[in-house]
Amino acid sequence: MTWIPRLFRRRRIDRDLSDEIRGHLDEKVEELVARGVPFQEAVHQARREFGNVAVIEQEARDTWAWRWVEDFLSDLRFALRQLRKSPAFTTAGTLTLAVGIGANTAVFSVVNAVMLRPLPFHQPARLVSVSPRSDSGPAGHDAVSYPNFFDIRDENGVFDHVVSYRSTALSLTGFGEPVQLRGEIVSWDIFPLLDIQPILGRGFEAHDEEPEARTAIVSHALWTTKLGGDAGVVGRTINLDREPYLVVGIAPQGFNFPVGGEQVQIWTPLAIDARSATEQPVTRQRAAGMVSMMGRLRDGVSIQRAQAQMDRVATALADRYPNENRRWPGIYLQPALEELGGASRAPLLFLLGAVGLLLLLACANLANLLLSRTAERQREFALRLAIGAARSRIIRQVIAESLALASIGSIAGVVLAAFLVRLAVPLAGTSLPRIAQASVDQEVLLFALALTVATSVLCSLAPAVRLLRDGLHDPLKESAHVNLHGRDRLGSALVVVQIALGLMLVSGAGLLTAAFVHATRRDPGFQPERLLTFNILVPNAHYPRARQLVFYDQLLERLSTIPGARSAALAMPLPLTGSSMSMAFNIADRPSPPYARPASNMAIVSPGFFSTAGIPLLQGRGFTERDDVNSLPTLIVNRAFADTFFPGESAVGKRIEPGATSDARGTQMREIVGVVGNARQLPLGSQPDAIYYLPYRQLPWCCPSVVVRAAASPASLESAVRAVVSSLDRQLPLFDVRTGDQIRSVGVTPATFPMLLLVSFAAIGLMLTSVGLYGILSYGVVKRRREIGIRVALGASRRAVLSMVLRQAAILVAAGLIIGVAGTVATRRFIRAIVFGVDTGDAGLLVAAMSVVVLAALLATYLPARRAASIDPTLALRSE
Amino acid sequence: MKSGSPESRNPLASALEMMIRQLLQHQRSHGYAFVQDIKRTSQDLLQVEEGSVYPAFQRMLKAGSAKPRWEASTSGRRVRTHERTARGTKHVDWEISNLEQMLTGIRLARASVQS
Repeated sequence: MTWIPRLFRRRRIDRDLSDEIRGHLDEKVEELVARGVPFQEAVHQARREFGNVAVIEQEARDTWAWRWVEDFLSDLRFALRQLRKSPAFTTAGTLTLAVGIGANTAVFSVVNAVMLRPLPFHQPARLVSVSPRSDSGPAGHDAVSYPNFFDIRDENGVFDHVVSYRSTALSLTGFGEPVQLRGEIVSWDIFPLLDIQPILGRGFEAHDEEPEARTAIVSHALWTTKLGGDAGVVGRTINLDREPYLVVGIAPQGFNFPVGGEQVQIWTPLAIDARSATEQPVTRQRAAGMVSMMGRLRDGVSIQRAQAQMDRVATALADRYPNENRRWPGIYLQPALEELGGASRAPLLFLLGAVGLLLLLACANLANLLLSRTAERQREFALRLAIGAARSRIIRQVIAESLALASIGSIAGVVLAAFLVRLAVPLAGTSLPRIAQASVDQEVLLFALALTVATSVLCSLAPAVRLLRDGLHDPLKESAHVNLHGRDRLGSALVVVQIALGLMLVSGAGLLTAAFVHATRRDPGFQPERLLTFNILVPNAHYPRARQLVFYDQLLERLSTIPGARSAALAMPLPLTGSSMSMAFNIADRPSPPYARPASNMAIVSPGFFSTAGIPLLQGRGFTERDDVNSLPTLIVNRAFADTFFPGESAVGKRIEPGATSDARGTQMREIVGVVGNARQLPLGSQPDAIYYLPYRQLPWCCPSVVVRAAASPASLESAVRAVVSSLDRQLPLFDVRTGDQIRSVGVTPATFPMLLLVSFAAIGLMLTSVGLYGILSYGVVKRRREIGIRVALGASRRAVLSMVLRQAAILVAAGLIIGVAGTVATRRFIRAIVFGVDTGDAGLLVAAMSVVVLAALLATYLPARRAASIDPTLALRSE
Repeated sequence: MKSGSPESRNPLASALEMMIRQLLQHQRSHGYAFVQDIKRTSQDLLQVEEGSVYPAFQRMLKAGSAKPRWEASTSGRRVRTHERTARGTKHVDWEISNLEQMLTGIRLARASVQS
């Protein structure tokens, strides 16, 4: 940084130079006067013979090569001085940019946290998600079965480690109130994979996977809170689901795996899945897709090479086990970071695009402001040109001014962004992974800086173009009213662009809002009002199947006799919660080999479920207590299922064989005994999903979720429900207690966040558009004062003047709307990515959006038009 | 934006500089006196703006081929005089040999064209 001392040295050099030149002139004048030339004449002659003092001085200074630094600083200083002189302009510009840059910075900080920030592990780029690639459907979301995972692990030659993981819930007892813990069942080398060392104790070892082993590593938070932060916990046993587990280690603070979900409290090896209760353990069921996989690429192995090897492994597995594996002949590798942000990609990029439009709008506004300013300052610029300033120098001055403005604006914007992030993040809930970590950090600040520079250049473009173009004639000679028509092509073009952008934002927001309203208003197919739901996990070890059934009978009976409760039932999974189970089945009339069988959602429910949830029975009968292991295997399907698989005929009486193993007897052909209405399993899906229901007494496993229908407010039943559960088993924790309405609103959260953001962007965008239109029109009116004055003086009516201004506005608005409609149609594809179940081509919505824009435009036009109409001809003509 | 060598500038400017360097060989001098000297020695053939010596001075100053000093002139005026440095001397020698080579080249080329 040698230029700083040089900068100070330069002051002296400059002073010396000025003194030297002044001395020269003085000496010359003196000599001329001595020769008898009159003093005034001598001064003129001296100057004439010397040349242009300012230009020569500048040229001499230019010798010192780093002129640009000085120029830049002096430009900035000058710009700040100019800005101080016009506080209204400065405030308007700063606010506009603060909004534009603030909104962009806020959205970017979310994008950064969710999609860009590397995973918090050693060499995160080497981590890849490994998933089966199916013939159809999107890749990277299918789970893999344990036996396939074991084979992949054994035959792997490209990963240092490849691990399996799946989430579970485990109850912790013996430390005060029983609690349900968020657990993760992992293969043993999860910690080596991530290169994480437990802060106390050890990581898992290969022998911890043996079926009898019960070990656990607890999260730092759980250790410090529930377990008291005692180092002695390591090496002791704790009771999980009432079985003793040896605590072998404590995870470091802040560690979480899988990344992006809720904080996992306990990790345990897959030994727990090797336990066999009544049927075969899942670790031996090749068809049961249960786990996700992640691997760390070996040094020097590219993802392509790994992909090739994994594909070979998958092909071999498909050949060896065609019935189970024929559906996924390949393996899909994806950087772990990409996989994590995968589902959020579309909505986030959409928001980024929308907020980018907003910034463009803000830029257009600022450009227009600057444009009117340059017009006002044309004489100043012309004067500077005349005394020898280079054109480039003046353009630089304009850029410096907008840079100064953008800098102030972006400081305000970053502060605004910090607020926005705090405000908006809770709205997103857990619908976006890692969003809670969104903050204005170094990357975000860099982004804001880049935006600032880009913005100021963008904003200066229009004024610079104007300066270059108008430079041909000398504006000094031009009187202020030569531009009689006040037609400001550049400014008008900007307003047209603004209206187009504004329309795109408004119509996008309209579509999203319509979709959201549609999703929330849509008939869920059941009656979530006055429902209370909760989960309990009855530990298999303590409750053999027979005892479980007794427990459930008692539970349902006591729940339904609570005062204020109508009925109670069991289900797995609950509708609208977003969790789903899918299983293939064979149709008796149309048998097919296992790999070619159709699949559908399924649920397991107790007899009272349909009436408790409010799902109508359309045909046949519901389940009864007699649908148990001793009676005919039955099932009930919903209407979508009947329509899909038995179109045009009655589904009742048809027989299908779901892949679910009932008990030791294996799968069974089941008869459809009833058809019920379509209750939605997925909150945001566009079409009702086909689903079939199995009676819980005929299956060996069920049901963690309980629904209670209340006579009045469901939330008021909670304490009574807790008392009932605890009266049956004091060690059984109740969790995920929610009302039906809560389930419903949580389900639409992923849509709430982008919708609220987009609606606010559209509102801001509309405001900016109106301000832009208002600005250009009132500027036109001011410029045309004289002309309008003449018109009025010659007899033009107020009406005529009014319609003149309105016409000008109408042309701009119409042009903007045409471009905006084209833009909306072009971007429909992106909107479709996050809009669910709404026809995005809805012309009515587009018309509504256009009306909103036109209305805003009318408001913006009103004041300038009125001002034009009320111009007093005498004043207007006298003013110049 | 580093400044190039004086040779890369426009020929008039470098000619002026050369002349300044040449004149500085004999005595140190200040700007005004200088301009008078140039006018005299070039017999008013060289019509330059008086001011143009100052950018030239600055370039020499930066190149280290001249050294300025504030002092009193013979008429008692406070003036800044410039003195040629050793480096400036070397530069002039190099410049002249360069120029002579160039002139020889031009002469030879003209001779060959005319014959």
